[in-house]
Amino acid sequence: MSDGFDVDRIYEVFARQKREDRLEHVGAITAPNASLARVYAWQTYDEATWFEMVVAPRDSFEAVNREEAPFTLEPREEGAAT
Amino acid sequence: MPEMTAEDRELQEKVHDGFLVESEADMTENYKQALITQLLVQGDTELISAPAYFMAARDAPTTNTMVSATAIIQDELGHANIAYRLLEDLGVDRHWILYEREPHEFKHPYGFDQPLENWAELVVANGFYDRAGITLLGDVHRNTSYGPLKRALVKVDLEENFHLRHGEVWMKRLSTSGPEAREKLQDAVDWMFPMGVEWFGMPDDKKRHTTQLDFKLKGMSNDELRQTWLQAVVPLCDELGLDVPARVDEESGEVELTYDFPVQYDPEEKKWLFDEPISWDEVWDRWRERGPMNEEYVNSVRRSRFEIEEMLAA
Ligand SMILES: [Fe+2]
Ligand SMILES: [Fe+2]
Repeated sequence: MSDGFDVDRIYEVFARQKREDRLEHVGAITAPNASLARVYAWQTYDEATWFEMVVAPRDSFEAVNREEAPFTLEPREEGAAT
Repeated sequence: MPEMTAEDRELQEKVHDGFLVESEADMTENYKQALITQLLVQGDTELISAPAYFMAARDAPTTNTMVSATAIIQDELGHANIAYRLLEDLGVDRHWILYEREPHEFKHPYGFDQPLENWAELVVANGFYDRAGITLLGDVHRNTSYGPLKRALVKVDLEENFHLRHGEVWMKRLSTSGPEAREKLQDAVDWMFPMGVEWFGMPDDKKRHTTQLDFKLKGMSNDELRQTWLQAVVPLCDELGLDVPARVDEESGEVELTYDFPVQYDPEEKKWLFDEPISWDEVWDRWRERGPMNEEYVNSVRRSRFEIEEMLAA
């Protein structure tokens, strides 16, 4: 994974509070590389003392049972600002 | 209000029956635009609370209190980030949100265009404005038909309650700390209480029907939300012996304002002109004109980005 600063990617954030817990989806952040994604995730989702937190780029998720899984969806159009 | 199509009405029925919208594919254009507006208000309010709180945090009485104030500011930036992240999924460009809008185009309430100048004003902001935030976002959390927002608000609610507690504990503390602290606290309450009343917008008899309610992007009307806030804030002030222009009806528990809402505000003097009732058109004019700190707050959260860009370009 490159550590460049060129393109922002969306990273999904997963965490668990205790060793025996499942990883849970806690949110997402946007970052230009994986190192910053880790920092942003840790700083943003600091509501609990996590046993473990991991991040993965949204575009690395493979839909299994449906074509339009939430993690794989792209916005319909660019710059739909009001 | 936008014209509703047959698809809009179908979606409105579905969400009122409990359907959760999970992605753009589930939305109509009108739903999407209403959600974008709501998330911009939410994100901008969180974002601008940060420099507003920072201005007052510099007056923190001790290192420890500075630390708790800074923790709150960091939470708020995180909350803004979460709202803006959700907007990106709707195709709204993050760079546009943060860097391409004029300060007056940000959608935070007029109350966050005002200078917070001392510790008393910071803790009243936590007690009043974070309470307003909890009232509004708690309602969204319980009722929103947009699944990703509902889930994101779990964390936000948790942290807002910490901010509120910070405010209420300190208001109590200042109210029992001798005449000078009491006076500062009352001064803060005097201009910040009516600011909180205005936070919830137009009364229902002026604007009853909203797209947000139709699409279940929230559950309560402006007046219901305002009343919820009043029923938390006014008893607290009564308990602390602080004067507010409102009273609790003993029988119904409802809170009634004892001034002619809405009234004009003088931002230079930080004074409400209670003998100058105005129309809602005039309130809108004042909001649109923005308050004294509007530009400075907006620029302060994006100044360093431009400085870094210049450095990188040099
Ligand atoms: Fe917040
Ligand atoms: Fe807050």
